[in-house]
Amino acid sequence: MLTIEGGDGGPVVVAGRLDATQSAAAQSYLDRLDGVVTLDCAGLEYLSSAGLGVLLKTHKRLLGAGGRLRLTQVNRHLQDIFSYSGFDQILEIEPGR
Amino acid sequence: MSENAEFPRRIDALAAVVAFTAAAFERLQAPLELRRDVDFVLEELFTNVVKYGRGMAPVAIDIAPIAGGVEVTLIEPEAERFDVTRAPEVDTTLPAASRRPGGLGLHLIPRLVDSVKYDYSESERCSRITFRKTRTCPPPGDAAGHGGTRC
Repeated sequence: MLTIEGGDGGPVVVAGRLDATQSAAAQSYLDRLDGVVTLDCAGLEYLSSAGLGVLLKTHKRLLGAGGRLRLTQVNRHLQDIFSYSGFDQILEIEPGR
Repeated sequence: MSENAEFPRRIDALAAVVAFTAAAFERLQAPLELRRDVDFVLEELFTNVVKYGRGMAPVAIDIAPIAGGVEVTLIEPEAERFDVTRAPEVDTTLPAASRRPGGLGLHLIPRLVDSVKYDYSESERCSRITFRKTRTCPPPGDAAGHGGTRC
């Protein structure tokens, strides 16, 4: 289960599991945002490569229009995934507590 | 003693795979902190079968307890040979503009588990992918360049 809400100037709060069954819904939500988009990941428990694809596609689209995607409150498990995939080099990532 | 189940080749069966893994971990009293990595690897392998497999038969998953963790086997009947341990390397140093998400899942698998083994039976046209995940992690920056999971 994934919940995603917010945006339009404030952070986008994402919680639950961003896996292959939820990636289309997440992509659809993020596709309507512009500028510098902050994703609050405090409640994001799980991310698969399908979720990485959503983040990459969104970041590239935002970059093309002068914006970017930044992630905050990223837990250690997700930090490992970002590190192994090299996403820590292309996304602004703020670790959680 | 192990836990096993079969799943149809549909992306929406992933929820049942996750539920099965959760129940199996509980029944086998496996270390819960390993579950996310096991879920990740199973999702990558299962979705790979759904996307690229040509067979119709259900995919079987078996989870067995081992010292400090679990051994997980995914069995794909009616399979073509595709050794997931020999998937092309992904350049994770490219800038965002040059990055493509494809192949990342298989790239990440060996970094998240202790070992991965691929077996294919020509006579049965069946592939078996077995991986082990334990609390014992490879040291950071080992010879294979894998950082291992933080313990």
